[in-house]
Amino acid sequence: MKKMNQALLSVEKLDVAYGSAKVLHNISISIGTGEMVFLVGRNGAGKTTLLKTISGFLKPRDGSILFNGKNINALSIEQAYSEGIRYVFQDKRVFSELTVKENIAIAAYGAKEKLSDALDKMFLIYPKLKDFINIRAKGLSGGQKQLLLIGRALIGNPSLILIDEPTEGLAAGTIEDIFKVLAMLQGKISLLIVEQNLSVVCRLAHRVYTMEEGKITHEFTQDQLKDQSQLEACL
Amino acid sequence: MIQNILYGLTIGGILYITAIGLSLTFGTMRIVNFAHGFMYTIGAYLLAAILLLTGNNFLLSGLSAVLLVVPLAFIIERYVIRRLYGVSVDYAIIATYAITLIGVDLVKWIWGTTPISLQDPIGKFMNIFTVDIPVYRIVIIVTAIAIFVGLGLFFKKSMVGKIVVAGLEDREAVSSLGLNVNKYFAYIFILGSVLAALGGVLYAPITSVHPYMGSAFLQLGFAVVIIGGLGNLNGTFFAALAMGIVMGITGRYWGPAADAIVFMIMAIILIVRPEEIEG
Ligand SMILES: Nc1ncnc2c1ncn2[C@@H]1O[C@H](COP(=O)(O)OP(=O)(O)OP(=O)(O)O)[C@@H](O)[C@H]1O
Ligand SMILES: [Mg+2]
Repeated sequence: MKKMNQALLSVEKLDVAYGSAKVLHNISISIGTGEMVFLVGRNGAGKTTLLKTISGFLKPRDGSILFNGKNINALSIEQAYSEGIRYVFQDKRVFSELTVKENIAIAAYGAKEKLSDALDKMFLIYPKLKDFINIRAKGLSGGQKQLLLIGRALIGNPSLILIDEPTEGLAAGTIEDIFKVLAMLQGKISLLIVEQNLSVVCRLAHRVYTMEEGKITHEFTQDQLKDQSQLEACL
Repeated sequence: MIQNILYGLTIGGILYITAIGLSLTFGTMRIVNFAHGFMYTIGAYLLAAILLLTGNNFLLSGLSAVLLVVPLAFIIERYVIRRLYGVSVDYAIIATYAITLIGVDLVKWIWGTTPISLQDPIGKFMNIFTVDIPVYRIVIIVTAIAIFVGLGLFFKKSMVGKIVVAGLEDREAVSSLGLNVNKYFAYIFILGSVLAALGGVLYAPITSVHPYMGSAFLQLGFAVVIIGGLGNLNGTFFAALAMGIVMGITGRYWGPAADAIVFMIMAIILIVRPEEIEG
């Protein structure tokens, strides 16, 4: 295991609300460079809200988000993107009317990266996508969509990728495909992944946070995750 | 009859050119843009004014009129439309309607209320299926088809077009790729406004130029957009041509019914597909 001492992202005492409904309370988490951290918790716990706040979609009510030591509370989505943060939405939101290649081309354009470089990155994690490159993204299976989205998030050299429930609704075999890709990324880039599949979590995580009703309830280190039942007991 | 159909196609072509901007702004920004009719009016007035300066050079005057609408649309987008993103549809209607009211009063103040007639810019006729049709009307139909094809290519082939198509489906996802969606939607607003002005320019020699010409046409434009399916760009094209023909044929039998029948068709569509306005 790589030693992660310097925190790339550090969220301190974060409060987030939708209008008057406060949904995140005093959240503090950190992610080191190259660290793969998972966030688990029941439906409605506030996992998506946390990821969206880090990536600029929502503004915190209180607390701070430090990225590379810089406060990024007030950054817009595009600014957070420029800082090197990527957010992969829950529910596999590809641009369904565009082809797979066009989906990648838009990301390359946003990152000011050459399309050929972007495609290379994509094929590195998912070579089979070559066969589907010219079909409309709506024709992809759930697993294919998810891999397209994860690959797309790698474009433009990000340093932190936030992935929201990558295996949700996928068949067991497909979950393994996603697992392999995540394993490939392990250590190369910082990741914060919301995931309900505890087997995936325990096999990959450097660290895990559990969340309940808008609060962080536990933190597990890699050693504590060897036994999945400990984590299960906390959910 | 052939003459009515061809004349109807002319109206349909203008309706398409004008309505497509409404469809685009609604599709991208979810804004019902009442300022659109004013762009049509101002296009026609600018044409009339510039024709005097260019010694009746229609092509040059029309082009200048359309280009002058670019900065106007830019300002309206930047200072009015952009503040309306995500707020209730009613505010957008009130704000854009206010632009039309101010604009129409300005037009009346500058040019007065007397209608201005312009001459047919080409003045030649063409014999089609045994009837004589003004060449200018054919030019309008061809222009509408060219714009339809051009927009199709723009959305399919250009990067800006693809980003807009992506943004129509999921604007959050476009922002998540580091792209400023508002900027691209602003281009689309300006494009739509320019096309409205072009509609006004092209129709001016056929009707007459008056301060309320845009308001009347705007209502027909909305009807066409609803009939074609909100945000459905191909639908808008075919609905516009179909409604043009319907108007042309109805007008042959009873002039006053020509507009009314379009609204009746819209009403039927809304009864059959109520999700059109609820969505
Ligand atoms: N746009 C919104 N407006 C108001 N409340 C919201 C909004 N989005 C989420 N919430 C509420 O905030 C809380 C946290 O939602 P969030 O989507 O962050 O949970 P989650 O942990 O991602 O759940 P899931 O596992 O279902 O994805 C929930 O109670 C939810 O109802
Ligand atoms: Mg969620």
